Amino acid sequence: MKRIINLDINGQAHEVAVGPHYTLLQVLRDELGLLGTKKGCDTGGCGCCTVLVDGKAMYSCMIFAMATQDRKITTVEGLADNAVLDPVQQAFIEAGAVQCGYCTCGMIMTTKAYLSSVGSHVPDDLEARRAIAGNLCRCTGYQKIVDAIRLAASRRIVAGSEKG
Amino acid sequence: MSETSIIGTSVLRPDAYDKVTGGRGFPVNVRLPGMLHGKLLRSPYPHARILRIDTSKAECLTGVRAVLVPSEVPKKKFHPVFFSPGMAASMIPDMLILSDTVRFAGEPVAAVAATSPEIAEEALDLIHVDYEQLPFVLDPEETMKQGAPQIHQHAPNNIAMNPSFAFGDLEKGFEEADYVFENTYQTQRVHTCYMEPRVCVVDSDTFGNLTVWSSTQHLFGLREKLASALDIQVSKVRVVRPPYIGGGFGGKLDIGFIEPISALLSMKTRRPVRIEQTRYEDFITTARNPFKVVLKTGVKKDGTFVARSAKSILDTGAHATHGAVVLMVHGMYGFLLPYRCPNSKWEGFTVYTNNMIGGGFRGYGVPQAAFAVESQIDEICEKLQLDPIEFRLKNSHSEGQPHPFDPSSKLDTYRFADCLKQGAEAIGWSNGRSRARGTGTKRRGIGLACQPLWVSGCVGFPDIYEHSGAVIKLNADGTADLSMATIDMGSGQITTLSQIAAAELGVPAGAVRMTYADTETVPFDAPSHASRVTYSAGNAAKVAAGAAKKRLLEVAGPMLKTTPDNLETGGGRVYVKGAPDRSLPIADVVKQAESPYVRMVPDGMQRTSLQEKGTVIGVASLAPTANPSPATAEFVEVEVDTETGEVKVLRVVYAHDIGRVINPAGAEGQVEGGFQQGMGYALMENLVFDQENGACLTADFLSYKMPTALEMPPEIKSVFIESNEPTGPFGAKSLSEPCAIVPAPAIANAIYDAIGVRIRELPITPEKILTALGKLSE
Repeated sequence: MKRIINLDINGQAHEVAVGPHYTLLQVLRDELGLLGTKKGCDTGGCGCCTVLVDGKAMYSCMIFAMATQDRKITTVEGLADNAVLDPVQQAFIEAGAVQCGYCTCGMIMTTKAYLSSVGSHVPDDLEARRAIAGNLCRCTGYQKIVDAIRLAASRRIVAGSEKG
Repeated sequence: MSETSIIGTSVLRPDAYDKVTGGRGFPVNVRLPGMLHGKLLRSPYPHARILRIDTSKAECLTGVRAVLVPSEVPKKKFHPVFFSPGMAASMIPDMLILSDTVRFAGEPVAAVAATSPEIAEEALDLIHVDYEQLPFVLDPEETMKQGAPQIHQHAPNNIAMNPSFAFGDLEKGFEEADYVFENTYQTQRVHTCYMEPRVCVVDSDTFGNLTVWSSTQHLFGLREKLASALDIQVSKVRVVRPPYIGGGFGGKLDIGFIEPISALLSMKTRRPVRIEQTRYEDFITTARNPFKVVLKTGVKKDGTFVARSAKSILDTGAHATHGAVVLMVHGMYGFLLPYRCPNSKWEGFTVYTNNMIGGGFRGYGVPQAAFAVESQIDEICEKLQLDPIEFRLKNSHSEGQPHPFDPSSKLDTYRFADCLKQGAEAIGWSNGRSRARGTGTKRRGIGLACQPLWVSGCVGFPDIYEHSGAVIKLNADGTADLSMATIDMGSGQITTLSQIAAAELGVPAGAVRMTYADTETVPFDAPSHASRVTYSAGNAAKVAAGAAKKRLLEVAGPMLKTTPDNLETGGGRVYVKGAPDRSLPIADVVKQAESPYVRMVPDGMQRTSLQEKGTVIGVASLAPTANPSPATAEFVEVEVDTETGEVKVLRVVYAHDIGRVINPAGAEGQVEGGFQQGMGYALMENLVFDQENGACLTADFLSYKMPTALEMPPEIKSVFIESNEPTGPFGAKSLSEPCAIVPAPAIANAIYDAIGVRIRELPITPEKILTALGKLSE
């Protein structure tokens, strides 16, 4: 039985009819056409579908849409301010962290949540690797993703640039 | 801007902006109005005959638009491999879109199209199938024995293929040998783990024409194979090139079940039909084939090879798919060709079992061979107390010698010795290798493995396409649109090809844009496989750009009051050679060519010339003239915990002669990603099946372990040894596959260096290490 719920996604209100078993991922992609969030496995194993829920990185395939009512959801579509990229997005481009790009949006969302949680700290190699250990990538060997995380952290202006 | 400021520069990927902001261009995002969703019903049994299918309940479910069963599909068998024509004699056509005999657990038996994926899924549960279970066999050696269940009528003893090659006098060679080594090496079944699932949307019109969007590595292969499977003309199928796909690594080099099933469902419903595989479906429909390799090698005291023989058994699963060609590449490029030996023999078996089907995966049969060959070389060196670098150099080919695959050509550029030398220096080989192993619980070791010979495409291979094509069109703003069928699966083909075209045209790198293509608008291109795109497709892009440039100079000649052969381009301008101040923006030349013949000026009408009129365009469709070999040596340092059996890779140096490097950051990315795949193969990854019922037990990322960022070494150092390949675009050869071939033997050799035990079976798990150390009983 479907029910109408209200979702706050990237600061916009959405009214959507969902079944009790609909995952947030399913609603984002199939009901709302927010295709930036990717389905890689649908079983909580790859991290391609990572979004922010109240600022925390979560696998959107592992959370029911109904459980995200009244919570602040941020997807990759909510990061760039018009044409101005978020510093994390910019760093991923410059560091060469993007190959096929299918894991990229999930990686970026995980990085956003991680960098928000560590203040002005610039993570070392191991800290950056730990931060993205829940996101799989098959193209890059992660090295340039780690570079991108550290580049974004080192450039970050602590106040003001954080969204989500 | 000169050519040298574009080639060899880490130009940023033009697709990266799109990908960090949402990646709309993936095939998984294609949505059409009125689109239906397909799902496949799959057999729970590894071998069974379908006696009856009752679809009546499923058809009555609200939202179901069509159900497809085996009796409705074409009866002509096909082979799914993209790079080989449907009628190629070397391929084995043994598949039907839906068959009334299933040969592996997970083979499709029926399909549904419905208005939502949930309804389609629900309908699958309402289809009733009566199966007659048949005896099955999962072991690749048992399957060849008398009395094993017969899987295909055409293959007695379940042997799909049994090729062999020999040269010299093997018996005499072994007699002359001072030492003979014989070992058996076993590799496992692993998955490519592309992150974007296989997905397609197929639309049909009333004339039976099909339009296809798919996560594919080959635009024209998909057209040809879909037509072949459906038994229709190729011109009935149009395949639209996706701007990019979410990885492939060889796993999307064949037609899946999903494309022909979507096509049939679309023709049945007159609606577009989309099928997206679940990750479980991905895991059971493509894999690197497992191999058993028995390797016998005779050497002189000084390490010279005098006789080598190998027997390789490839488990191809329920259908031959790539198994026929993987076996040959394994034998040739894995065993016979990389090193010199006067007396050699190889025999291969591709055998059917009731396991899942295999596919392509980076290295295509050679990772399995390299694990055997490169491990055994170290075993020989250990026994004879020879230096593994010297040993390899002694037996390798060298620059200027005839190419071992095609002796009519030469190894014009071949810097294998430099790879070994520079790689050894960078890792600290002479000090770090064979140190006292120490007494602590954690031991370190350094290992080396090589892929001395590789390809830059498939020129010379029987029954494999190799030509490429490009159309380049200049715009009146000085930019150019490059249109090619080449698929960018993530490795940066769009960037590299645009760089090559820009350098040839004389425009800034960002001025060339890879644009729309489908099978009706651009020339043929062979697949994105065999490390071929930079070299082969790069040559096509360069020749097309050269043709456009020639036309550009013809138009510019009269404008600059000189002849075209006095002109050159660079930095977006056409200039007079030796007088760069006499120049014009390329945009002005294109505008002149595109302008009306007669212009109105204040004094009246002014004629221009008819010869200059027309779009400035260049077209190429060609096969490369050679198949130059890159060369590779990889050095790794590992730490083995002798208490837990855990192996950590600490450092990696990868030295590679790839000709001239077009995009250094992109090339490094290939090396780093290739190492992740190779390390997973060496230490972690394994598709495991229930031996009672053939079911896959590792069909998700929680049970199939591929390396995360944490398992990866903190640094992978790429050393590119640049040569200037005369047949390559701006001197380039190829990259990609060797990066994934060499890690497993390099790691195995480093483990031996660390703890003195030799593991001949992948993956090298903690259990195997502890067992080898005598700390676990078998």
